[in-house]
Amino acid sequence: MIEKIVQEDLIKLNIKANDWKDAVRKSAQPLVDDNYITENYVSEIINSVNEYGPYFVIAPHVALAHAPSESGAEKLAMGISTLEPAIKFNNADNDPVSYVFTLSAPDSDSHLKAMQELVGLLSGSEFYKVLDEAQSSGEILQFIKDSVLNNKVS
Amino acid sequence: MVKALVACRAGVGSSLMLKIKLNEVISEHDLPVQVEHSSLDGLPSFDGPIVVSLSDVADELKEQGIKKEVVGIKNILDKDEIYTKLSAALKNIGEE
Repeated sequence: MIEKIVQEDLIKLNIKANDWKDAVRKSAQPLVDDNYITENYVSEIINSVNEYGPYFVIAPHVALAHAPSESGAEKLAMGISTLEPAIKFNNADNDPVSYVFTLSAPDSDSHLKAMQELVGLLSGSEFYKVLDEAQSSGEILQFIKDSVLNNKVS
Repeated sequence: MVKALVACRAGVGSSLMLKIKLNEVISEHDLPVQVEHSSLDGLPSFDGPIVVSLSDVADELKEQGIKKEVVGIKNILDKDEIYTKLSAALKNIGEE
């Protein structure tokens, strides 16, 4: 499932960002370009952080950038970005962030399986190594496909 | 069974991932907890005793004086953290 919602052109390696807002915008841009999310959705992610704090830094170095579906999640998709250098998101426990997963979920349950697979990927150490060392988006997507097909994550 | 609500701002991302990990911990340790998830909008209609959330949201709920046992998780992938805090919450409500 996850290999179907992460497209190769939604994966961006070694993004240089000025700050966390820039990191969120640059990570989300490929999803805006392909009409998975609206510009408003991206603004909503940034506004909610301004209002509520960095609530989507879910684990050390990992951010799951997302906003409520009605803010402009048009089609189910996930973007993956690596940040080089890592950027502070003002989350004392999990800073700095190196990996941004931008989620577009138009409803509350169609992405359940994909999220389960993402949790599986993030729970091991191999995925991070691949994210750090990959030379192309294709390598990351291939690793995800292999992991899912071999039932390493479920 | 004790009902626990996993809540996040949007109800589609972090709370879903946290629910997945929470369920792993619950089944590994055979805890008497049944997990639901929603956005924070689902909170007023939730009738169980425990609310689980990412720590910054949890801190805010505590500040608001919500009458639930609030569990704040810093690293949603860390099963030890989840287990320790969930067990403490169960103890606080007298279930373990």
